[in-house]
Amino acid sequence: MRATPNLLHRYANPGQFLRLSRVLLPWLTAGALLFLGAGVAWGLFFAPADWQQGETVRIMYVHVPMAWLASSCYLGLAVCSVLSLVWRHPLADLAAIEIGPVGACAAALCLVTGSLWGEPMWGTWWVWDARLTSVLVLFFLYLGHIALIRAFDEPARGQKAAAVLALAGAVDLPIIKFSVQWWNTLHQPDSITLTGAPTMSLTMLWPLLLTTLGFTLGVAAVIFTRLSAAIHESRTRQLLARSRLDRTDTHAA
Amino acid sequence: MKRKTRRLWMVIACVACIGSAAGLTLRAFSSNIVFFMAPSQLKAHPPAADRTVRLGGMVVAGSLHRETHNGEPVNAFQITDGQAAIEVHFTGILPDLFREGQSVVALGSLQRDGDFTASEVLAKHDETYMPKEVADELKRTGKWDPRFGKAPDASSWDTMTAKKPASDTQSLKTGG
Amino acid sequence: MTNLPAHWQYIAASYALTLGCSAFLAISAMLRLRRSKARLAAVEGHSRRRGTAA
Repeated sequence: MRATPNLLHRYANPGQFLRLSRVLLPWLTAGALLFLGAGVAWGLFFAPADWQQGETVRIMYVHVPMAWLASSCYLGLAVCSVLSLVWRHPLADLAAIEIGPVGACAAALCLVTGSLWGEPMWGTWWVWDARLTSVLVLFFLYLGHIALIRAFDEPARGQKAAAVLALAGAVDLPIIKFSVQWWNTLHQPDSITLTGAPTMSLTMLWPLLLTTLGFTLGVAAVIFTRLSAAIHESRTRQLLARSRLDRTDTHAA
Repeated sequence: MKRKTRRLWMVIACVACIGSAAGLTLRAFSSNIVFFMAPSQLKAHPPAADRTVRLGGMVVAGSLHRETHNGEPVNAFQITDGQAAIEVHFTGILPDLFREGQSVVALGSLQRDGDFTASEVLAKHDETYMPKEVADELKRTGKWDPRFGKAPDASSWDTMTAKKPASDTQSLKTGG
Repeated sequence: MTNLPAHWQYIAASYALTLGCSAFLAISAMLRLRRSKARLAAVEGHSRRRGTAA
């Protein structure tokens, strides 16, 4: 029981986080650019066309990373919620504010690229099957979280309400994951699973893994940058508030 | 410490409650969540006449007939789930991925004569992504016919398409 | 001009949207960090000067 709070409190310190982020950011950025560049070039120009989908299969190399990031960012939100609700981790609420819009972007891009893939292949932009609908719900959960966390005059109340929403919405994650197994859907089952061998050729799997890794590192870099900026901004606010307080004190004296 | 532990248990209890509530709800509505019905289901429980339903399954090999009436393509084909087959009529352009052996979903209604009239046909594709050259080679050598079922495992494509070593591994396998 | 594949508009649109949004997010985050650092430095310097003056 002792180890957990110690570990938590080490990174609870915003100064410690800023130092960590200063060290990590160049590596994350470089890795993201490298892997994304290689993955996108490979996916667009060198990966083979699918035997039935033809060149359109290349949309997979951006669609799958967005789907993965939309889910993982939400998982991040849920973890932040637990840290904030249970341990009152001072960084968790700031992190939740910054992760929300990024995850919403990923979910929106996942839906849009999916639509762009569905129209030429399935013959429709959108159907209300379990997979598509549960991802749309995820997108609306993000929007609700973004709105709720800023909805109150007193930030702490909004953050608490948003944390509860994020935690409750986490039930959508397993629904998204297993929707293609539990119900029959228009969306195909996952090609890459933890248990089975991937059902695609290695010449398609590699660029997919590269773009996924690249986008993941990039999103990590964006979140670290936003969180660092948020810490600076909140310090500025504190300093301004204190100086305003000093001024009123001297006036009173 | 005490309060933190209590808050942790409260959060765990709330998540468990919401999770089981969601699970039970989904279980209850499970039949409404399915996107399409299989031919055998549709035959066992025929919907009310003229009710719009989705019928999903595989296009039976050799069942597709395309004609053109007044400039409009008229298609007839059978959809099967392995247990029952239903004849589908559809006027309009079929999606690119439509072929015999492909999984498709047809939106329409079951007629009195047991045939299905579709107003929209969507092509499903499975989770197998195969380079065109591999597919051509497998089809050419007769190891796989897309009209009759799923593609072989991705891990076996290399040995199946290799010109010479394939026979070696094959004999090795049978030998061992 | 090489032959464009069928549905190339869909492929181009999805790559452009995804990469464009990512670039926008990354650049705006970078600018925001730079701005927030500069502002904090300014406010810190100001309050330090006031502190020594007092």
